[in-house]
Amino acid sequence: MSVKYTPVQWNLNKWVYDAVMLVGVVAFLWLFLFVSPELLSHEFPINPQVHNARAFGACAFVMLTVILCIGPLARIDERFLPLLYNRRHFGVMTTFVAITHASYILNWYFAFSKSDKFSALLFANTSYTQLAGFPFEAFGIFALICLAVLAATSHDFWMKFLTPPVWKRLHSLIYFAYAAVVAHVSLGILQDQQNHVFTVIFIGGALAVAGLHAYAAWLDWRGGDEVGAESNGWIEICSPEDIKNGFAKIKLLPNGERVAVFNQEGKLSAISNACAHQNGPLGEGRVIDCLVTCPWHGFQYDVTNGRSPAPFTETVPTYNLRLTDGVIQVDPKANPPGTFVEPVPIPGWQEVPA
Amino acid sequence: MSNDDKPFFVGYLDVPGPLRRFLLLACVAVIGIFVATGFLIGSTQDEPPASGFRFDYGRQTVTGVIELTPYPLLRVTQGNDLIKPGKTLMLTGQGKFGVDARAMGLEGQLAEVSGIILQRGTIDMMQLAGGRRGLKMIEGDAPAMETEPLGRWKVAGEICDGKCLNGAMRPGRGLAHKACAALCLVGDVPPVFVSTQLIEGSDFMLITGPDGTRLPKAAYDYIGQFITAEGDLERRGDMLIFKIDTDTLEVTDE
Repeated sequence: MSVKYTPVQWNLNKWVYDAVMLVGVVAFLWLFLFVSPELLSHEFPINPQVHNARAFGACAFVMLTVILCIGPLARIDERFLPLLYNRRHFGVMTTFVAITHASYILNWYFAFSKSDKFSALLFANTSYTQLAGFPFEAFGIFALICLAVLAATSHDFWMKFLTPPVWKRLHSLIYFAYAAVVAHVSLGILQDQQNHVFTVIFIGGALAVAGLHAYAAWLDWRGGDEVGAESNGWIEICSPEDIKNGFAKIKLLPNGERVAVFNQEGKLSAISNACAHQNGPLGEGRVIDCLVTCPWHGFQYDVTNGRSPAPFTETVPTYNLRLTDGVIQVDPKANPPGTFVEPVPIPGWQEVPA
Repeated sequence: MSNDDKPFFVGYLDVPGPLRRFLLLACVAVIGIFVATGFLIGSTQDEPPASGFRFDYGRQTVTGVIELTPYPLLRVTQGNDLIKPGKTLMLTGQGKFGVDARAMGLEGQLAEVSGIILQRGTIDMMQLAGGRRGLKMIEGDAPAMETEPLGRWKVAGEICDGKCLNGAMRPGRGLAHKACAALCLVGDVPPVFVSTQLIEGSDFMLITGPDGTRLPKAAYDYIGQFITAEGDLERRGDMLIFKIDTDTLEVTDE
């Protein structure tokens, strides 16, 4: 959570996260750049510039693949949620690795000619009407622009400035970038490979991303949040006994929004399920120190008014709710973010001992 | 809904005990993925053909007759220990530049060339030093040079630039190298055709357009692709020249 903008609000977990990421990336590059030439022992080795370009390009692909696997893994198994916590650092570093790859390519294949290298990149191959020999560089340029935009707008300032829904939509560009990378590699280096180890790793990585997303989507579809039944303009949620102390029940409202109804010490409150930070699922969070805590980045809200504790300023919409015939009902019309709603006590509630 | 007692991670708090072991394994797995992929991809790169600049030979200086195909060739008449008389060299400048402009007006003249050799098995190209150090007309009568017509041929292989093919870049051919090869050709580096089979004892030939013109731009779309093409073949010294008929260019899978 942040009350002012600083480049990075470091904590121990972020340090550990970045350290693991750096160890992985440095190990990849060290093995590729310095160990593999010795093992290959080619009489006439690959040009260092080409070798370096391949190392950084392959590394960026692996990084992007790992990044894109984290989301669905966290949906499949909540224990992966910590990997989501600092993922944007991973993304920013991927952008720098990809830029290094592009720099080697630009300063080697597109340099030394009478044309400006940036112009040469655009005109050297214009066989856009054919598949074999297609200017695969175009896909790389597109992917790099996407990554640069995402890295440049990764800070919370941009999320607040653009609003979380717009920011989320913008950052969905990562999928287009990945698809472009797949096309870039498929129409480029894979066309000339004789040894197919990279081909196998590449296809395996791309299939892992696609497969995990498909599986997570299927799980969501199968066990997704139900649309609450309507009763006289109110939406039925569940019986109060179905919600444990400190937890929530999530229901889909007719307008497509999700409401999270919390039981806090025997009192029911309803807030929007979407965190004001990155639309994280508040209903899957926990009540910590009397505050609902988002499972993605730990943003907290008072469940009675949807406000983050001072000095923080984030707010989420609240919902009016009532108990009718032992069933929790929610008014589907959300209150403005930060509106206090008197919690509804659960009659005869007693905390069940752990 | 998270209606259970699973450990709950909050980034700015300590990691819950039951999650630590899992996250430790996840960290090892992530690092393991990078180590394994870095090692496997890095250590299975294809070996480029044995080719490259031979700076170790030092600068070579030979004399011969300049021929414009229109791409300039040197028919060596007075060689050295490395480059014997009778050899034909393609000539190129530094970077992605040919030497067409420098050789203009020297056709059929005796000239001295000096530069660095590019070798791919045999020596077929020289990168000339700058200015008159690299190419200059010399006094003397140029001997007549024979050109042997070899008839019409249909060949299968790949169009690329002679400089990268000869090791200026490793790897220096293929579709991933297409843009670079096109830039070289735009810069007047001699284009070559790499054949899948030996033709008259050679696996490559300098290519030109029909009737001694430059390689038509229409052929550029085919760079790096496996194609067949027809044209007239001739031999100049130990160099084959293929006058490609671009109307016969055809992409093939075989």
